[in-house]
Amino acid sequence: MEFLIVSTLNGVIYGLLLFMVSSGLTLIFGMMGVLNFAHASFYMVGAYIAYTITALVDFWVGLLVAPILVGLLGVLVERYLLRRVHEHGHAHELLLTFGLAFIFEELVKLFYGDFPVNYAMPDYLRFPAFTVFGTDYPFYRIFIGLVAVAMFVALYLLLSRTRAGLVVRAAERLPSMAEALGHNVPLVFMGVFGTGAAFAGLGGAVAGAFFPTNPNMALELGVIVFVVVVVGGLGSLEGSLIASLMIGLFSSFAVGLDWSLAGLFSLVGLGEWARALGGVFTLTLSSISGTIPFLLMLIVLLVRPAGLMGERN
Amino acid sequence: MTVRKLGLALGLAAAAGLGAGAAQAEPLKIGIIESLSGSQTSTGRLFATAAEYVVDQINADGGFNGEPIEVIEYDNAGGTTGAADKFKQAVADGVHIVLQGASSAIAGQVTEDVRKHNIRNPGNELMYINLGAEALALTGEKCHFYQFRFTTTAPMRVNAMVDAMKEAGDLGTKVYSINQNYSWGRDMEDAIKAAADRGDYEVVDTVLHEVNKIQDFSPFVAKIKDAGPDTVMTGNWSNDLLLLMKAAGDAGLDVRFGTTFLDQVGNIANAGDTALGHYVAHPYNIAADDSDFAENYKAATGHYPVYIEPQTVNAIRTLGEALKTVDFGGGDVSVTEIAKAMENASIETPLGPITVRKDDHQAVLPVVVSKVVKDPKYPVDGTDLGFGVVKVVPGEDAIYEAQESCEMDRPS
Repeated sequence: MEFLIVSTLNGVIYGLLLFMVSSGLTLIFGMMGVLNFAHASFYMVGAYIAYTITALVDFWVGLLVAPILVGLLGVLVERYLLRRVHEHGHAHELLLTFGLAFIFEELVKLFYGDFPVNYAMPDYLRFPAFTVFGTDYPFYRIFIGLVAVAMFVALYLLLSRTRAGLVVRAAERLPSMAEALGHNVPLVFMGVFGTGAAFAGLGGAVAGAFFPTNPNMALELGVIVFVVVVVGGLGSLEGSLIASLMIGLFSSFAVGLDWSLAGLFSLVGLGEWARALGGVFTLTLSSISGTIPFLLMLIVLLVRPAGLMGERN
Repeated sequence: MTVRKLGLALGLAAAAGLGAGAAQAEPLKIGIIESLSGSQTSTGRLFATAAEYVVDQINADGGFNGEPIEVIEYDNAGGTTGAADKFKQAVADGVHIVLQGASSAIAGQVTEDVRKHNIRNPGNELMYINLGAEALALTGEKCHFYQFRFTTTAPMRVNAMVDAMKEAGDLGTKVYSINQNYSWGRDMEDAIKAAADRGDYEVVDTVLHEVNKIQDFSPFVAKIKDAGPDTVMTGNWSNDLLLLMKAAGDAGLDVRFGTTFLDQVGNIANAGDTALGHYVAHPYNIAADDSDFAENYKAATGHYPVYIEPQTVNAIRTLGEALKTVDFGGGDVSVTEIAKAMENASIETPLGPITVRKDDHQAVLPVVVSKVVKDPKYPVDGTDLGFGVVKVVPGEDAIYEAQESCEMDRPS
């Protein structure tokens, strides 16, 4: 029971963190068709901006300003870089953002050094929210989860219930028709990209205070965020929420389960034999918990190539 | 090498060339094949800085073989393929000695490249000085005459840590081992199990996890809590160490950490007060050094020697001692002669002597066990925390037996 509750809690919160970073990527891909490899870099830049502002002014000001500045950065990237290569197709956009990710990493090293910086939550947020089975559950983890849920609700309502969302969806489906109806499609795209970047920036500002803020954080989270988007279905907001939670829960439960192939074989009396062979047979699930998301991605790609909630299933 | 130094070297070379056709001495060339971009830059850059600090001193004292020693930096971009490419380039550039340290995987590539090169090019050998890669295999089945290792290994660190923590009464009787699932982490796990009798503890559970893939360590912390250890021993470094310690701190887990890389730059800043009271076993701590080394280093590089810098300085100083005993009279440099001299070289440090063991070319060096304390002699990362010395274990006590898997062919 304890294992079940603690693992679920840990998994859900980690899943929500993943969603926080991948929501912007999903938005940008769903609305613009651009697979933004530099997305996790916006997350990193958000954390560094929030760190800088926290040191100068206040933690909450950092949380507010970081997404705005990262959003503006996103707007600039869309307006002056992405738009220029848009007509050449997806490969060019992909390569451009791929290159940007490296440039962001080296720029951060140039300004902030190679080492992790001291970005931490204020002390008054550092308290246990409650105690489960003798273990403190940090309030800040709950806070991360709440911010992620708020982001999901806001994005969902914006896209499905407002006029702006309608225009955005129209601009993605039939850009020339939307343009003929008098909507400024390039402006819409710029706005969407900026919003997506701002969401990543907010994610960085919130999560960076809990996890180490260092020049590698984009690289570390970048891959897993793509797994989320692929598993959830490219462009589906609900899908990426479900995928994030699945990955969070699977990784969390995997750590606690010392299952191995040898254990499976021992059910039919071949346990000793399998253990003697060693290698892959004695590999425990906990030692490959970081690989679970990729395994999940492979299975999803085989069974539902467009992802769990993808539109072309 | 910086542009300025390159210019100076070229200038000197040109001046020597103008000297009425005097015979040209062969300068000793050192190539640093290190992670100077990518995710390991923070460590790779430190190796290069510390090595160049000592070479600059040797050059100020007149260099070697009548010429200043040249240092060339090669960026392996944090991978083995990059290292293999840059090794070829270093060979083409006429490098004699290769330095590297930031990864055991890359070290494995470099040392094999050196071994193969030496087999194919007798009389034109290269030497490899391993500054920081700790996988036991490097001085085990991969050992060879032209490789030297100037850092500790898992048994050295764990044995010293166990002794010091036991003496201080901080070890307890239950130890949990959590490590990264590759050569280094496995070495650590083996060493932690092997030291159980020495430290009179029971290993309650062991876990191996992937390197740098896990963002959330709270499931592991839940597992540690279940096992109820007094001390958690880990060889984790970088994010894997920070995330683990933070997750344990946030969960209010009452355990002591025995670590090996807590002194990595930025760790203490990130962990904050969570780090207080935890242990690290490392090859050097300038707090135990009352010489003016730390100040001199700061004057030259802008910061106190941290993390892997002191061991790198000691490695190149030992090379400098070896160079003093060979003389090529301004002619061609023989790497084999330098390697033979390395076997007999030794230096004195304020923490004790450092020598090279002939059997496997592992350096016999002291291991320091330190504890994170408030208001130390040298605060780190801009905090009021730092590493207080608990115990200095002399090299001869810290060293383990040479591995039988090392079969070294010696040149006659």
